[in-house]
Amino acid sequence: MTTTEKTPGRRESKVQLRLAVRIVVLILIAMGLTHEACAQELRVAAASDLQFAMPELAAQFEKQSSVRLNVTYGSSGNFFSQIQSGAPFDLFFSADVEYPHRLVSSGIAEPDTLFQYALGQIVIWVPANSSLAPERDNWKALVDPSVQKIAIANPEHAPYGRAAVAALKKAGLFDLVQPKLVYGENISQAAQFVQSGNAQAGILALSLALSPAMRDGKHWQIPSDLHPPIQQAAVVLKFAPDPHAARAFLEFLKTSSARATLSSFGFQIPNAPAVPATPAHH
Amino acid sequence: MLAAQFKFSRFPPGPSLFALEVSLQVPAGITILFGPSGAGKSTLLDCLAGLQTPQQGRISINEHVLFDGPTRLNLPPQARRVAYVFQTLALFPHLTAEENVAYGLAGLPRDTRTARVREILQAFAVEKLRHRKPAEISGGERQRITLARSLVTQPRALLLDEPLIGLDAHTKSAVIDDLRAWNASRKIPILLVTHNREEVSALGEQVIALDHGQVVSEGTPLEVLETPRRRRLAQAAGFENFLRGTVADLREADGVMRVRLSDTACEIEVPLGYASAGDAVCVAVRAGDILLATHPPHSLSARNVIEGKITSLESQGTLVQARVSCAAGPSIEFLVHVTPGAVRELELAAGQRVWLVLKTHSCHLVEN
Amino acid sequence: MEALLLSLRLALCVSAILLVLGLPLARWLAFTHWRGKFLLEALVALPLVLPPTVLGFYVLLAMGPRGPLGKLWQLFFGHGLAFTFEGLVLASVLYSLPFAVQPLVASFESVDRKLLDASAILGATRWRTFWRVILPLSFPGVITAVVLSFAHTLGEFGVVLMVGGNLPGITRTVSIDIYDRVQALQYPEANRLALILLLFSFVTLSIVYAVNRRVAHDLAQRLWAPWAAK
Repeated sequence: MTTTEKTPGRRESKVQLRLAVRIVVLILIAMGLTHEACAQELRVAAASDLQFAMPELAAQFEKQSSVRLNVTYGSSGNFFSQIQSGAPFDLFFSADVEYPHRLVSSGIAEPDTLFQYALGQIVIWVPANSSLAPERDNWKALVDPSVQKIAIANPEHAPYGRAAVAALKKAGLFDLVQPKLVYGENISQAAQFVQSGNAQAGILALSLALSPAMRDGKHWQIPSDLHPPIQQAAVVLKFAPDPHAARAFLEFLKTSSARATLSSFGFQIPNAPAVPATPAHH
Repeated sequence: MLAAQFKFSRFPPGPSLFALEVSLQVPAGITILFGPSGAGKSTLLDCLAGLQTPQQGRISINEHVLFDGPTRLNLPPQARRVAYVFQTLALFPHLTAEENVAYGLAGLPRDTRTARVREILQAFAVEKLRHRKPAEISGGERQRITLARSLVTQPRALLLDEPLIGLDAHTKSAVIDDLRAWNASRKIPILLVTHNREEVSALGEQVIALDHGQVVSEGTPLEVLETPRRRRLAQAAGFENFLRGTVADLREADGVMRVRLSDTACEIEVPLGYASAGDAVCVAVRAGDILLATHPPHSLSARNVIEGKITSLESQGTLVQARVSCAAGPSIEFLVHVTPGAVRELELAAGQRVWLVLKTHSCHLVEN
Repeated sequence: MEALLLSLRLALCVSAILLVLGLPLARWLAFTHWRGKFLLEALVALPLVLPPTVLGFYVLLAMGPRGPLGKLWQLFFGHGLAFTFEGLVLASVLYSLPFAVQPLVASFESVDRKLLDASAILGATRWRTFWRVILPLSFPGVITAVVLSFAHTLGEFGVVLMVGGNLPGITRTVSIDIYDRVQALQYPEANRLALILLLFSFVTLSIVYAVNRRVAHDLAQRLWAPWAAK
């Protein structure tokens, strides 16, 4: 037929090539199919102070829709940097409204989805076996001589830290306690410092103080007029594979049952009658 | 006088199961410790020096007891004052010759130390090398410096593990002469290990032969080398032929006995030994003790003339090794050494019919 | 800049301490025959595989008022160990331990055993053998140990994060500072600090390796040997 006859080896490799291509195509189809399945899952980046409230909210939402939530907890600042570099999240729950604002202005987030889901509250917290009694002595607990270290979140980038510093200044105590301050990378690390006993007291998020691990400690909620509001906001990200489901979750958060859940975990709900943050059983 | 009698065993996971059981006395002067590799010579020295500990026994030099099993006395090497020169010398590479030699004198005041070091370097003729590092010194001079390092501490005994390896004959004798000269005044026991026959003969002192962890013979070099008791020792002493056979006949009057080799008709006459007719024996003969003739010899004093055929000729430098099979029993092969000149003149070649001549007293009975 | 100086101080302290602690530990590991030695070796190597945050977490607990380290420190100094420079030094020493000990052990083991035997036979105690024979011949290993522990501590982040408390001038090392700047979106600042750290580390390491091993070795021996021979 042709001048050069293909050697048996070359014919074999042609067959192998065709087989390889078929396998790759099958894999791609399979991936596409599973991708379809993944679309039913929402990837959420959430500030660490939501780690107790979010599972509850997710469970409620999953019951009424077929959407599963895959939540990652961490510091808002970290998430911000990652999202800016293209981290594939659908939703971002930030402890500081500043980050979602920036994401919107840089075009990475959907402007109309920006939603302030809660106002953070700060408390003075000490472990159960501490000799201090902030619920009775309020600010005075911090100036007790037995307090050598006070843990707060880093005010340079954590909203709870900034609020703590602002409140201390308003209460006229900042200069006095400043030498004793130690800074956690985020509010969770600050909590860790106090829980391990390395710091004798801390200014932490109310949501953390109410969490199972810290519930048995003693705390006093610092009046919210002493510090700028800790506006916690969520936003849908532009490259979310399923923006519809993401928006649906945010809509769910505006319902009264979701708000009630949030407030029971220590978040004050904006534009709602002030709900006493201290739960009845304390 | 160094007296040692001890048992030492090493169980796996060491290299292999090994047992050393010795009883020996080393008087002042040079004593040779001779034996094949694996006999336990280095281990014996290690035990004497304190680098290894025997399970039981006693080691002492004159009145100083170094090791005593019953009283659990075991002096560490630092306290024994036994000098030990390793085969690898182990000169400290980062120190000069002078610093190496001074190493063992650390406790002395500086002036005494320097004086002693200079003195011994001069005695061993290496004074001019004192600022050199070991890497810049070669051969016999390194040996000398190592000896100087060991002897400057005025030890009670000296152990040498193959100290002359790698040296040419001239250097060997020079090093030994220096050592003898040094010991003439000090008179300490010196135990020198070697596996080299020539050294044993050349040094000519008392010899202790060691094999498989046991002392197999003691005496003069001649005694130890010429009448080996064990086959391995025989190999170390230069026997190439080991012939198995059975005692056919005893001739007490002549002082000989006839041995039939293997199951053949070949018989040889060997000196009378402690054996009876029918005993299995092993006869060792040196390849250099066998004569080769291309015609059947007659009127010879030698009692053993064996007809055979050359199966191969192999040149080994200054001699030629011939393999000759026995006509009466082709399974028996003799190794014979001949000179290249003889090969040429007699026109020896493989396949040639020859006659082997063995003197009775060149045949030695050895243990199986 | 304060953070960089702090990091340097920390790295120097830790390297010095690790040298003092590492030498006897490495000597024991290199020359002792004990059936249980492998356990200690694994323990020393643990920080190599443990995430720094895990180590930091346990150190934090140990430093707390209920922990063994914390109680001891409180007894002597009347205040806690966490959030102090000393606390960082302790945590860093634990974390960089294998980087100092392992090169030392490897170096000691490579010394010809016969030299050690010779030294003993010539009457030297084990201590003297270590100082006059083993150490001079292991100098490259010592240099490696110091350089590695210095470099490793300089770049440390996870452990410092866990136990430091981020106090400027005390526990805010340059790696924490860079992280903070990034968190606070101060990218130009972060970049500047990172670049300084990178250049500094690179230059330091280059100098150490460029000074030809042989040269450093010879120099060290020339300085050491006269003393060793005494």
